[in-house]
Amino acid sequence: MFDGLIAFGHSIWSFCDPLSLGLILLSSLVGVIIGALPGLTATMGVALMTTLTIKMPSNQALLVLICTYVGAIYGGSRSAILLNIPGTPASAASCLDGHQLAKQGLAGRAMGIATSGSVLGTLIGMFFLALFTPILGNLALKFGAYEFFWLALFGVIIAGTLTGDDPLKGWIAGLVGIFSAAIGQEGIYAYDRFSFGSRDLAGGFQLVPALVGAFGFAELLMAVREKAVPVKINPFDSVIPKLKDVTQYWRTIVRSGLIGTFIGILPGVGEDVAAWSSYAAAKRASKEPEKFGKGSIDGLMAAETGDNACVPGAIIPVLTLGIPGSAPAAVLMAAMLIHGVRPGPMIMIEAPTFVYDVVAMMMFATIGILIYGLTLTNVLIKVLMVPKPIILPIIFVLCVVGSYAISQRLFDVYVMLGFGVLGYLLRRLQYPVAPLVLGMVLGDLMEKGFRRGLVLSDGSLEPFFTRPISAVLWITIVLVVAVKLPGVRNLLARRRAK
Amino acid sequence: MANEIYPSSPRRDLQGGIVWVLFGSLVVVLSWQMDRMTSQGATAHTAPGLWPGLVGLVLALLGGVLVLRSWRRAQQIGWDATVPDDTDYAPTSSFALAAALFFVYALLLVGRGLPFWLGTTIFVSAFVFLFQHARRRAEDAVARGVIVALACGGLTALVVTLVFEQLFYVRLP
Repeated sequence: MFDGLIAFGHSIWSFCDPLSLGLILLSSLVGVIIGALPGLTATMGVALMTTLTIKMPSNQALLVLICTYVGAIYGGSRSAILLNIPGTPASAASCLDGHQLAKQGLAGRAMGIATSGSVLGTLIGMFFLALFTPILGNLALKFGAYEFFWLALFGVIIAGTLTGDDPLKGWIAGLVGIFSAAIGQEGIYAYDRFSFGSRDLAGGFQLVPALVGAFGFAELLMAVREKAVPVKINPFDSVIPKLKDVTQYWRTIVRSGLIGTFIGILPGVGEDVAAWSSYAAAKRASKEPEKFGKGSIDGLMAAETGDNACVPGAIIPVLTLGIPGSAPAAVLMAAMLIHGVRPGPMIMIEAPTFVYDVVAMMMFATIGILIYGLTLTNVLIKVLMVPKPIILPIIFVLCVVGSYAISQRLFDVYVMLGFGVLGYLLRRLQYPVAPLVLGMVLGDLMEKGFRRGLVLSDGSLEPFFTRPISAVLWITIVLVVAVKLPGVRNLLARRRAK
Repeated sequence: MANEIYPSSPRRDLQGGIVWVLFGSLVVVLSWQMDRMTSQGATAHTAPGLWPGLVGLVLALLGGVLVLRSWRRAQQIGWDATVPDDTDYAPTSSFALAAALFFVYALLLVGRGLPFWLGTTIFVSAFVFLFQHARRRAEDAVARGVIVALACGGLTALVVTLVFEQLFYVRLP
């Protein structure tokens, strides 16, 4: 335990130079602004910053990305409270009570609650990141090809089940993502699959352009489809968080922090589910549930704590299993690979201090959002007042540049366009996009696990079902799917009614 | 449940389901036609087409389930039943114009010989001007609209070029 604390202390010290501190402040600011702007998601923000930091040393680059990630998830609360428009999907739950508080002339207090909830949520998640990562990393060493296959499949199934209203559509989106990952040269014989003679397609789709398309360009198309509404922000009171709010709602903070962290660990589910789950749990536990949706401080605190606790939670499976807990975490994982860090079970052996570096980065990001939570309000309001016709083309320029800059290929720009159109169509038809992206991320891992497993067992499927960890995983998958089948749902509903 | 109303109508779901069935089937066919690589010692379980074939098969099956489900729902609530949508949408022409500008910029103005700063200035200026034109005309401030549009375009091109190329040494298209 003391070795861990010493390593953590070293990591903190390693970031205490002027350049790193400057990067922390700048990237947290960029993250908060990205999060506050409707039309720019945390995923896109982290993807754009990945492009920008590609030539930086790995530790500095990842510091920038983590600060941007944390800042973006926090920043979404600003537009949620002031405009009733979530800056990121994670802040949708904050709109319910945050904007109601703003309408009651308490926007400042709401922003103070969002700041304290976000800071405390990140700290709770950070604690579990430091605690669980070494433990889960050691457990992950027992995982073989079979276990990784089921784990990757579990990730796609759970993402399809929990994101969106329709699990069947979520699973279909996941399968489309898995198929996209199969395009290009396959891993054993370098055979070109579905490339139709194109050398670019033979290389497959890069993750960052696909993510920028699915979460960036698709979001722009959705934004363009809706009429621009004039932005009106009422005067508000002090934004400084009140200690009374923290002490009075400490149970909500702890509960939401735990829920958010746990949801973050689940592959592909993400901050919006964490926020809603925390909100729902707070409402169930509250003595005044009728106040939720009408300006409940408890509700806003729960949503903001939950979504920010999800950020460190989502990084836990990245570091230990090489499986992202959310879409921005998927980009972070891609960035780690670009910078030569191999997340996965071997991380505690190959680079054990890296985990503590990440915890230290998270801590500095938390300090960043606290600083900007107290000081940035007027600047953010000016940014939010910029008209849509000016913001949207600028965001698109960044989408094009961000897609191109990773490998300097125009093909990646076309990939961004293609996934943008696909993401837009899927959203119009009420398919969730997160499983599509997670399918792309996990498809390769799934295929490798499947094919390796078959080679090891000489074509037998038995080890897939009989090995202990594999058995736990496939049974869990079956249960998750079965609970969503109409017959089983009706049965459970009748039991609950009795 | 069959009689729940969802944001997507049974008709839309049926169309989507048919698309997935066809797409999944196509993937299965193409996977089946792939080289089995037996000359390199591949077996049935290491053939390149096995994995995508399985994915295509499951996709077609789930597409079939979606078709059946949408048909059952249509019997209960009607083919076009959907949750009312009170979002205020912009005219289709606005959406088409914006989409056209996005595609022209990405496909024609960047990486095709035109300097990045010029292509970006043209795109952003055109977008801002066209989408603010109606309001500027109503305010009798069209000239101001042109100046604002050009300023936005120029500034975007300048800042993006400086930040990406000069500060972070990232090559632009």
